[in-house]
Amino acid sequence: MSSSNSNTHTEAAKMEQIIAEFFAKSLHIILESRSPAMSSRNYSADQAASSPSSSSSSSTSVRPRDKWFNLALRECPATLENPDIWRRMNLEPMVVDVILVQRPPDRDPANSSLKKDLFRNPYLKERYPFSWNSDQEELGYDAKTEKIIERWIVQCESRRLRDNGSGSRRSIGTLHTFYKKLILLLRSLYATVRLLPAHKIFRDLNSSGQIRTFTLTHRVSSFVEPFTRKEETEMQRFGFNPVDTSCGRLCLSVVYRSSLSDIRSESSTQMSPQFIPDYVGSPLADPLKRIPSLPLSHGSPSSLPFSRRHSWSYDLYKASPPSVSFSPSPTHSESHASISNPSSRRFPTMNLPPHPPEISSVHKKNMSYDEYCPSPNFTPSPSPSPPIYIPGRHLAKALLRSESAPVSIPTGKLSSSPVLSNKQNLPPSPPLKGTRSGNPRTDTSTGFVQTGASVEKLFSLGKDDTRKYSGMRIPSNSSPQISFSRSPSRSFPDDFDDPDFPCPFDVEDDDMTDPSSRPESFDQRGVLCDPLEPGGLFPVRNSQDAAVGALVRMLRKAPPLRQDISTSIDLSQVSRSKISSSSFQEHVQISETPAIQPASSSIASSGLVASKTTADALEELRGYKELMRDLLLSQADRSDTSANPTSFQKPATG
Amino acid sequence: MNCEVCQLKELEVEHFEIREVLRCILHTIVFHRALGLVRPKDIDLELFEITYVQCGDFEVEKKIDEKIEQFVSWVEKHPNKKSQICLSFYEVKSKQPSWFTNKIERLYWEQWYVNLNVTQHPKPHSGKSHHSKMVADPGESAYEERSVRRASLEASLHEVLFQIIKFVNEKKDHVPSISEGVIYFPYEITIPSSSDSAFGMDMIKRMLQTGHPTMLS
Repeated sequence: MSSSNSNTHTEAAKMEQIIAEFFAKSLHIILESRSPAMSSRNYSADQAASSPSSSSSSSTSVRPRDKWFNLALRECPATLENPDIWRRMNLEPMVVDVILVQRPPDRDPANSSLKKDLFRNPYLKERYPFSWNSDQEELGYDAKTEKIIERWIVQCESRRLRDNGSGSRRSIGTLHTFYKKLILLLRSLYATVRLLPAHKIFRDLNSSGQIRTFTLTHRVSSFVEPFTRKEETEMQRFGFNPVDTSCGRLCLSVVYRSSLSDIRSESSTQMSPQFIPDYVGSPLADPLKRIPSLPLSHGSPSSLPFSRRHSWSYDLYKASPPSVSFSPSPTHSESHASISNPSSRRFPTMNLPPHPPEISSVHKKNMSYDEYCPSPNFTPSPSPSPPIYIPGRHLAKALLRSESAPVSIPTGKLSSSPVLSNKQNLPPSPPLKGTRSGNPRTDTSTGFVQTGASVEKLFSLGKDDTRKYSGMRIPSNSSPQISFSRSPSRSFPDDFDDPDFPCPFDVEDDDMTDPSSRPESFDQRGVLCDPLEPGGLFPVRNSQDAAVGALVRMLRKAPPLRQDISTSIDLSQVSRSKISSSSFQEHVQISETPAIQPASSSIASSGLVASKTTADALEELRGYKELMRDLLLSQADRSDTSANPTSFQKPATG
Repeated sequence: MNCEVCQLKELEVEHFEIREVLRCILHTIVFHRALGLVRPKDIDLELFEITYVQCGDFEVEKKIDEKIEQFVSWVEKHPNKKSQICLSFYEVKSKQPSWFTNKIERLYWEQWYVNLNVTQHPKPHSGKSHHSKMVADPGESAYEERSVRRASLEASLHEVLFQIIKFVNEKKDHVPSISEGVIYFPYEITIPSSSDSAFGMDMIKRMLQTGHPTMLS
């Protein structure tokens, strides 16, 4: 009968389609819970391109493919990126190997992102010429150990039912029943995939974004690579009951490694902390997180409010090109950054409260700036200055390394270090664009992260500043770096721990940045600059003491130079400023004489070693001397009379 | 049509484990009988390292939770008893009106028996306060014992879940055809609380219902 024939024909076509969809669906189910890189969270763009209809519908709406077998699955790019090969060749078996890849703990961080990328499309082409994505073979897999932990085989055994007697076929009923059975089969596949040991690894990989020394990858091919005998002994088999179709038996089975607990525990313990910075910094690690996390990732709670404020101020800054007119010496800012920032970071909450409002506000600016300034130090600085020496701080090292890290952030500056980017939000946003103008401020940001970093940055900034503010250059210093030349042996770092100590420097720094950019800062500066202002005078006892101690120690170390001290030009200014630690800022703003700089810089620079001339050293020493004397005097003064110390010292200066 | 029955392996659970264990088992079963369009939901157990699947239907979740609560309260009244929870799937048939039945009849086509043995002893609070019981038992060994027991329960639960999967795999013919728009087959959960006679009634009812019209075609 022709009618029945055509009916049979369409039915066979439907059957084939169902089978093809079954292959696709089972692959999807398997990969969805085995390929960590493709978890729905991390997945975004590619999929939209491949299936535009589904792009807008994430989890709620039903995509056409979801209707197959009444099973709506999460998006799984792995399945999408593979051609629907089994639509074409139904009878080829589909072999899905789930592979555990264990990486050696000390792999090259620079490569990690690439590898990670590879894991996403981890088909080993060369070994498996018949598998799909053979072209992706590149980076060496040699370092890693791969172990097949699961092998799923979906195939349609071509023992034809038709041969048994097509006449007895119950046409439509069969198709429906067949479909229903496949639904059931896929349901149990779905549950089984989650019960097998490999799923625990998958869970581990997906949980908490921890870095593991292992990952899962997969390989889809059409033939079975036999296991070794040893492997076979370690494997268990679970076979789903085959479903009969008109064109054969549809079989689904899995061979799996029954015990994976050793792998899990062992590799998790291997974790070494050093990976973390690199890992986090890499946008590839979690591409989506990078952006949303920006507003939230503040180093300290106190800095949070500032960031917003900073942002607008920054804009202002951008709008108006920095005016050189009021330029403080770059060295000041640098020193300030190095000292104040680390401490502020350490004691974020403590830092602000003790300050008078003006100072704190300025301080805020700095911090906020830090928030979004990525580390400028890594940006290729146009200035011809020689490579910056970086102190032996561990962070500095990290930063250097990070330089090469594959962070793809729009702005060149931002690309610097993962660590920084991590802590400070590096928005790809406009503020960063103002490259040149941004520099002076950026230095503070580095300081925020770490002393070493700050110093490094400072240097770079210094160069910039010199260019910009060359007119304002301090005579004594041939280069701004000199100020940092303090020997690393200085005990300052300890003193810096005092939360209060850095405050004055913060102010100073702010001042420096302010002149160029924002109007409001000017106002504040005006307030701050006034030595008589409560804010300016605001003495921090602890910090002062610490400073004194440091000075004493420094002086002890440089006995021969003592004679010159009395003659220093800056004496007057220094003495004035000495009254309070906050005075440093004042110097910068009020008197732009270079003489001040040495003193402040000397204190500021903790462990930096830079090339300096003996003349510079002498000057610095003088500065120290003065500073110490003033401090001592002021203290004595204070102890005697709590009245205004400035009055006492002024005579001396004059 | 016959009604397929699956007796699940008995699990020895402590009181506080009842909820998770039952949820895991019941949801796994229902998921395999929710043949309409579902968006499955993975659930990680808290007490065990097991992930099971829910069919993502709020009503199902609610109903199962309700029944579990009932069961828990029943267990509290009847300690130290082995108990059985029955999850039955049925089809609703409107019967030709006769003089003594309802118009609507349930045709049971599958029953799952979850067997629990709720143990009393290691109750966290009672164990330590009553040293009369635990005299010889320092806390250390008790803890070890507990973790061993926990591990074995996890393994058993795992086994039960595979039992469900195997059953689903082997017995497919009795499952009614899927009707459009229905997400899961109607089911009921019977717990011992509703006096034992109810169980008996179910059995009788089930025995009375013979044949499964749709599936034979």
